[in-house]
Amino acid sequence: MPEEATMGAWLAGLAAWAVPGAGHMLQGRWGRALLLGGAVWAMFLTGLILGGHLFSLGGQEEGTSALLRVPPMIANLGTGILYLYCWATNTGFAEGAEQAARMTFEYGNTFLLVAGLLNYLAMLDAFDIAVGRKS
Amino acid sequence: MIHFLMMVLFAALVAVVFGIVGRDTLRERSLYGLKIFAEFLGIGLALAWLLYFLPI
Repeated sequence: MPEEATMGAWLAGLAAWAVPGAGHMLQGRWGRALLLGGAVWAMFLTGLILGGHLFSLGGQEEGTSALLRVPPMIANLGTGILYLYCWATNTGFAEGAEQAARMTFEYGNTFLLVAGLLNYLAMLDAFDIAVGRKS
Repeated sequence: MIHFLMMVLFAALVAVVFGIVGRDTLRERSLYGLKIFAEFLGIGLALAWLLYFLPI
């Protein structure tokens, strides 16, 4: 029978979002933390190296077209502190023709987006373990 | 070549996460991860060949 969500479960979920792998580390699941966190970190860093673009609400678009930036921003935001660090240091947010012309630009975008989405899955996994839904 | 390597890396990383969160036992996780990896590669190569024959 699954337990009710405790403060520890929310904390594990929050930690898993904030630092990929940290949620499982808090639960003492080192192997899972290493694999899940490692995959997300590797995907994010590869995306940056490939010249991918991180999305934020600020941009050149106006009106409703600016809303198109929201879904990819939510995906990017899934990497937690990695996204926030890049945002604070303005890394990966450049919007120039030179960057977009790179052969691996779209690959980088995809890696960055999927890194965030995978971390959302890892976050839910950490939460489910904490509430007893998964072993 | 870099396109293929990127696809392999992407498939491997996604397969690791899907395998871990999608199944419960080590054996099931390994098989599921391998299945996801093979599907990514297989479908990716099939689509690549399909698009190759399409006129631009």
